[in-house]
Amino acid sequence: MNRQNAGDSTAPAQPAPVLAVLAPVVSALLPGFGLALVGAWRRGLLLFASLASIAGLLVWRIRLVGRREVEVIDKIRKSFELQPLLLAVAVGIVLIYLWIILDSYLTARRRRSVSGVALWALILIAYFAMGWQIGEIDLVTLATEVGDAELVMSRIAWPWEAAIHREEQLLVAKAEVRIPCFEGGPERAEAESGEPYLLIEPNCGDLSTQEGSPGSTLTVIGTNLSPLTETEIWWSDELRNTFRQRQAGEYVKVNTNEDGAFQIDIIVPYRLIPPAEAGDFNTWTLEAQQLHALGPAEPSAELLQAIEKMIETIFLGMMATAFGIVLSIPVSFLAARNLMTGSRLTIWIYYLTRTLLNIVRSIEPLIWAVIAIIVVGLGPFAGILALTVHSIAALGKLYSEAIESIDPGPIEAIQATGANWLQTVIYGVVPQVIPPFVSFTIYRWDINVRMSTVIGLVGGGGIGFLLIQWIHLLDYRAAGIAVWFITITVAVLDFVSSEIRQRFV
Amino acid sequence: MLDVRHLTKVYPDGTVALKDLSFQVPDGAFLVIIGLSGSGKSTLLRCINRLIEPTEGEILWDGVDLAKLKGEELRKVRRQIGMVFQQFNLVKRSKVVTNVLAGRLGYTPTWRSISSGFSPEDRQRAREAMARIGITQQAEKRADELSGGQQQRVGIARALMQGPKMILADEPVASLDPVLAHSILQHLERLNQEDKITVLCSLHYLDLVQRYASSVIGLREGQLVYQGSRENIRRMTDSEFKDIYGEEAERAGGISGDISPGENGG
Repeated sequence: MNRQNAGDSTAPAQPAPVLAVLAPVVSALLPGFGLALVGAWRRGLLLFASLASIAGLLVWRIRLVGRREVEVIDKIRKSFELQPLLLAVAVGIVLIYLWIILDSYLTARRRRSVSGVALWALILIAYFAMGWQIGEIDLVTLATEVGDAELVMSRIAWPWEAAIHREEQLLVAKAEVRIPCFEGGPERAEAESGEPYLLIEPNCGDLSTQEGSPGSTLTVIGTNLSPLTETEIWWSDELRNTFRQRQAGEYVKVNTNEDGAFQIDIIVPYRLIPPAEAGDFNTWTLEAQQLHALGPAEPSAELLQAIEKMIETIFLGMMATAFGIVLSIPVSFLAARNLMTGSRLTIWIYYLTRTLLNIVRSIEPLIWAVIAIIVVGLGPFAGILALTVHSIAALGKLYSEAIESIDPGPIEAIQATGANWLQTVIYGVVPQVIPPFVSFTIYRWDINVRMSTVIGLVGGGGIGFLLIQWIHLLDYRAAGIAVWFITITVAVLDFVSSEIRQRFV
Repeated sequence: MLDVRHLTKVYPDGTVALKDLSFQVPDGAFLVIIGLSGSGKSTLLRCINRLIEPTEGEILWDGVDLAKLKGEELRKVRRQIGMVFQQFNLVKRSKVVTNVLAGRLGYTPTWRSISSGFSPEDRQRAREAMARIGITQQAEKRADELSGGQQQRVGIARALMQGPKMILADEPVASLDPVLAHSILQHLERLNQEDKITVLCSLHYLDLVQRYASSVIGLREGQLVYQGSRENIRRMTDSEFKDIYGEEAERAGGISGDISPGENGG
């Protein structure tokens, strides 16, 4: 004790040695409060809050991860096992706890704060470790499974195969097969000239067995089919159940040659035959099917739908902007401070308008759309209402700021010529606010068209409705068409609006 | 004859801008008002055409008290009083000709300003005014494309369009270089001499005052501290100078050390 006092020459003859023992003890019981005891109030409280919040987060995550376990100790063991990061955080907490005790001791002895950059860094790291765990960040999955996106991405990136449609006809050539062979095969049908015809050689055979030994091999020869077209092989068994021929796990496909003919060897598949049907033999039918395109290529239904909805979207944005402009101009005058300082009443109106605008503006158009749908039902009108409400608030604020920033000089000059109020507005105020009004309006139109593409996600009309529908149907090609239209429209609009803005401003 | 009597202006925040100010301006005078920034020059000029409401006092102009006018009567008097500003106060995004035509607004019925704009006579008048001030070339340009000197000429043309009997010029050359300053003041002088328009003009530079003023008043903290003719200015004493510009002010090189004004010579 004496030695400490002598060594600490700068310290006044205070009971520093007593505190040097007391501070760490208090900190051990209540982390950080030992520091508060020796005067470092803010530091102590901050450390306590940090440690307590990290510990709280850790308890929450352990309960969540180990929720299947009953005993507390099992919960902890299980969660550390599943999420080693939680163990690391726990170790970090212990370190921080010990460090705070040490810090309390040092601070009490030296009577001044000890630099603890590393301590704060440790606390920060603990927070980020918790964030990593809470965010369920999983880079391994990201890296290994990224290929899964390829199919979807490629369809969205180039969806135009779905944009074209040809009228199609199903061409079928069929022949009977006897299973198993019993006095040869069934009688073959006569080939009619010009009609699709299927010849199977032999036209009887044994099924593959469940144990895996292959059945008979049949040679299938098709003629008079559509040339250079993919052809599928289908079976129809004795119960008239149809199924597709599979070989080595793949559906069998064959392409016809220039003359519309093909030849392929197939193995008779395995099929569980119900005992009731077990006779001497059964007669199955083998079919070669192909989709034969007729007539010229024409736009697909999806393409036409996307175009219709895109037009709807653009007009949705336009109408919302128009309503927004008309309604926000009067509002903007009420929200312009320089026009509303006349009396106590007008100042109140000013504050009320401003507050309302801020509240309305802070609610997203998607939420307004949900509310509008309740009122007017699904469809573009709901979207128009939602965007209008949001536009009034956004434009009202921008317009009012434009009015607030006009130069009072020209107004004074116009007044000095003996002009009346209306003339002063027309010649002094309007020319000054037109450029910012035009600029803000175009900007808003831009936003509204962009927003109208997503407002459909909640049913507010426009192309977003189609988009979300196609995504839910996993029709990524059609969704890709919608994405392309949205992208093109937004890009064109961007270009047009910047051009117009340059002209006016 | 403009007769200002006991004019006082107190702003809502309690600032006394003008204190019991009385002076007279004969018709056809070129009165220059001098004084430091904040001495009340701008307030005085704006009280005369009532852009600022005077608190007390009378402003008699040809027997009519301007301080008591309201509504239509006030606008009718205003259109006879042109005003020129330090910052020109043009509508920057409008064309020069539109700015000049704005001077006729007091004579234009409201329905006409909404529908068709200005009458052919007014347009002819604008052409004459611009020709006289020398800005015909700039008529179709936007006001903010013009240089400072040209903008101030537009301001004078706008005042001229009113067919004014009096022009109030609030530091019309404070934003311009010395050569342009003379050019602008010469335009005002010509209007004063040729059209017999009374000019009330606030100025900072004593050499300009000496050159253009027919009479001078000096303001300090809203009070009249000096009154004199052009001759008096030349003989202004140090104590008079300090009355106007304060104890710390120094007369650098004397007031006769003026800048030679372009073509006309000193």
